Amino acid sequence: MKKNLTRIILTLVFVAVAVIYLWPTYKDYTLSKELNQLTGNDSIEFLNKYAEKIRDARDGRIKLGLDLKGGMYVVLDVDVVKLLEDVAKKKDDPVLLKILEDLKSVSESSDENILKLFKAKLAEKSLTLKNFYGEMTEDESTIEKKLQDAIDNAIDRAIGVVRNRVDRYGVAEPQIQKIGSKRIIVELPGVSNPEDVRKLLKGTALLTFHLLKEGDAAGRILNDINKTLAKMRDSSTTNLISPNLGTDTLKTKEQVKKDSLKTAGQKDVKKDTTKVKKDVKKDDKKDVKKDTKKDTTKTKKDTTKLKKDSLTTLSDTSQESDTTKPASNPFYELFDPELSQRYGEPVVSEINKEKIERILNLEEIKAVVPSDVVIAWSYRTIEEKGSKFFFMYILKKDPELTGKVVTDAKYTMDQQSSGKPIVTMEMNSEGTADWARITGANINKRCAIVLDGVVYSAPVIRSKITGGNSMIEGMQNLEEAKLLAIVLQSGALPAPLKIIEERSIGPSLGEDSIRAGIMSSAIALLLVALFMVFYYQFGGSIADLALLINVLFVMGIMASFKATLTVPGIAGLILTLGMAVDTNVLIFERIREELKTGKPIKTALEIGYKKAFSAIIDSHLTSVITGIILYIYGTGQIRGFAVTLLAGVCSNLFTAIVITHFIFDILLEKGKKLSFG
Amino acid sequence: MRIFESTHIDFLGKRRIFYIVSISVIVIGMVTLYFKGIPKGIDFQGGTEMQIRFDNDVEVHSLRSIMDNVGFTGMEIKTMGDAKNLLLRTPIQGEGQTISDKIQSAIQNGLSGNNFKVMRIDKVGPKIGKELTDNALKAVIFSLLGILIYLSFRFQFVYSFGAVVALFHDVLITIAAVTIADAVIPSLQLELNQTMLAAFLTLIGFSVNDTVIIFDRIRENIRLFKNEDIENVMNKSVNATLSRTIITSGTVFLTVLVLFIFGGEVLRGFAFTFGIGIITGTYSSVFVASSIVVDWKHHVLKKQNKLIRK
Repeated sequence: MKKNLTRIILTLVFVAVAVIYLWPTYKDYTLSKELNQLTGNDSIEFLNKYAEKIRDARDGRIKLGLDLKGGMYVVLDVDVVKLLEDVAKKKDDPVLLKILEDLKSVSESSDENILKLFKAKLAEKSLTLKNFYGEMTEDESTIEKKLQDAIDNAIDRAIGVVRNRVDRYGVAEPQIQKIGSKRIIVELPGVSNPEDVRKLLKGTALLTFHLLKEGDAAGRILNDINKTLAKMRDSSTTNLISPNLGTDTLKTKEQVKKDSLKTAGQKDVKKDTTKVKKDVKKDDKKDVKKDTKKDTTKTKKDTTKLKKDSLTTLSDTSQESDTTKPASNPFYELFDPELSQRYGEPVVSEINKEKIERILNLEEIKAVVPSDVVIAWSYRTIEEKGSKFFFMYILKKDPELTGKVVTDAKYTMDQQSSGKPIVTMEMNSEGTADWARITGANINKRCAIVLDGVVYSAPVIRSKITGGNSMIEGMQNLEEAKLLAIVLQSGALPAPLKIIEERSIGPSLGEDSIRAGIMSSAIALLLVALFMVFYYQFGGSIADLALLINVLFVMGIMASFKATLTVPGIAGLILTLGMAVDTNVLIFERIREELKTGKPIKTALEIGYKKAFSAIIDSHLTSVITGIILYIYGTGQIRGFAVTLLAGVCSNLFTAIVITHFIFDILLEKGKKLSFG
Repeated sequence: MRIFESTHIDFLGKRRIFYIVSISVIVIGMVTLYFKGIPKGIDFQGGTEMQIRFDNDVEVHSLRSIMDNVGFTGMEIKTMGDAKNLLLRTPIQGEGQTISDKIQSAIQNGLSGNNFKVMRIDKVGPKIGKELTDNALKAVIFSLLGILIYLSFRFQFVYSFGAVVALFHDVLITIAAVTIADAVIPSLQLELNQTMLAAFLTLIGFSVNDTVIIFDRIRENIRLFKNEDIENVMNKSVNATLSRTIITSGTVFLTVLVLFIFGGEVLRGFAFTFGIGIITGTYSSVFVASSIVVDWKHHVLKKQNKLIRK
């Protein structure tokens, strides 16, 4: 009896622990069910009232994998080779560049330690790290250690930045972890707009601030490109430069229509832009007045206001040539006249953007574009006429500042005046000094905030900013402000990231999988339970009880380890149930054998359990071995399977050997007649 | 109720017949594998895969011609369950979302009026497939090694050798069965993906479990019947555990069958593969693992007898 008592207590403790761990899952289920029934104000009230409860339940519940919940799964590869290139003593050493290029292609198909690969590559050419890295006085191993530290640091920072961005973006329960030597897995449950996340994750190059080339300078550049292009086309040496070639295979009817619309709209641009010019002048004066009066440390993003720069030149030239040769503006033609005019800067459709990029790559064009400028595109797009439009910016190539100096950025609603979203940005002391100098020298010019070569915002500098605190306004909505704040925060990443695997699962597919999984589990469980009772009668019903406790334990173990339930995980659960049945079958068959030799039930029971024990242990331990190995070498989904399998094996050993045994013992002591079919 | 009441079947006496059966199934399977192969899923192939649910039925060939028109020639398009659920797959990856965007806009233009919802997008880099294969191979090899070592401790080396050969046999038979099934019933849409990989690893676990339980009984019976011929003892053991073998395999097979029918697309490949694995795992415990032990022991015995005679 004493033996049984400890077993009973142990069982009750385990059951209680499992229930405690599963409680948040249950709570979460009921709370979200209640919440779903409420609408509007009621639901907000509910959320406020139970905020803590909801949060606690969320934290403790069994997490559902992306395959069950929907969301995004991304694997990022940290470009360590780029880092190795950047930290080299002589960056443009052709030997080093060649080796790094080789290294890059090797590292793409391998997850080996990159420094080891690098050293091997160097050794092939009988070189060492010392040839390219470190001080004269340092020996090879010190340099290697330093480089390894730099790489580790870069990866850690990349993870930090990714985590920061994801957190700021407000994804619930994101999972970010490092796998292998240089990869990061990002799991974002319930993300509905993968596009944004992708850009966030990938926008990893340096955050930089560039002055815009405006006015005549910008106009001249565009004009030169246009003229050169026209000349090239006129000489008709080649058709290659025709902007209408290239992606034309993909051109749909609508696009053709759009293109013709564009040429038709050309005339309107001329007229309207002259008006615009005046407006701008007036506007500028007003701005200056305002600024001197208030002396705010304010920069203003100004998308609605028209600038005199490129667009004016655009129409000026088209005026000149339009009358004589309508088709000689092959470059300006690519801008959308209506939108460019509305927004006051060159607006280009997605398709024409590709064309412009190709044009800019032509040697002849490269020759006329000054080497200190670069053409960049906006992150923001306008959806109109069934197509996406980008803003085009001409930037000074050398950044005024890099994002390293930005210490913090926040977004809020401007409560005092406009009620519009604003972003505030703080800089460190070093940045503050530079920023004051830059802003002071460029008042009323625009400064672009560029991440990964993409312009996120190009506000106008209103005044000299001396305190290091800047304010950016003019965002369309809070989402945009949020994104800009994140961009400003991301700062400098030492090594770029590349997305090498990406999966997104719609929420409805997840629901289907859950439904199918739960239904098949339930049916399987029911069938097995029925069979056990049918075949082993009373013994079978005890086995069924053990089966249920088993399910409770497996779920409890998963909740306590904060494991994630995936579709293969459900498969693992079902398999576990199969194994639980097997254990009971093993024991019961042994008991039957002993009963057949005429032994009394009590002895048969004892011997049955004893004899089945070695088989149970051996079979479970082999499962543990495979489970652990699966967990180590498996990725994603397979891991989920391994976790449930391991949890199942452990709980199964306990339920079959301890729980059913003492139940039978107690029933026997009470004089109950047991039957095993 | 008893399914098998004290059977006395001479399983091991017929082992040579079953050696031939196993080898021929494996050979047929390998020939099929060589000529037809198992279609590789997106996990192993790399590329972009989309699962799309339409409001109305879609004809695969019309969708295919739409895709051909926008430059995705030879895109793989399959229905999933019914004509509303389609799977599109191309080995092209593209940067970011470009490929899936292009596919979506092409459908929008080509099948206007038939609204659709993107259920799933998978974009997998080519190196992922190689890594996955490497990791899977590692997982299998290390699992087998772990089992080999553990069983050598618990039994004799011959037994663990027999068990591991049986596992190899099971994996090969299952590959063969999957290949043949795919060739004969393509509508099963079997393909090598991570879930199928999980099925292979599970069947290894299941099969070794089955083998261990028979071996456990042999270990026990060898002590009981010290003077009997090993083949007899083993036959006794297989017969004694037969009831358990059939019931366990039967119930697990039942659960897998339920998975196969109700588990949805994702689990179907798993269920099929593991279902085959249950059958061959049960079979191999007797006709491969135990048979090898018998033949080995006989071989050793003969050698000893020769030595004694000399």
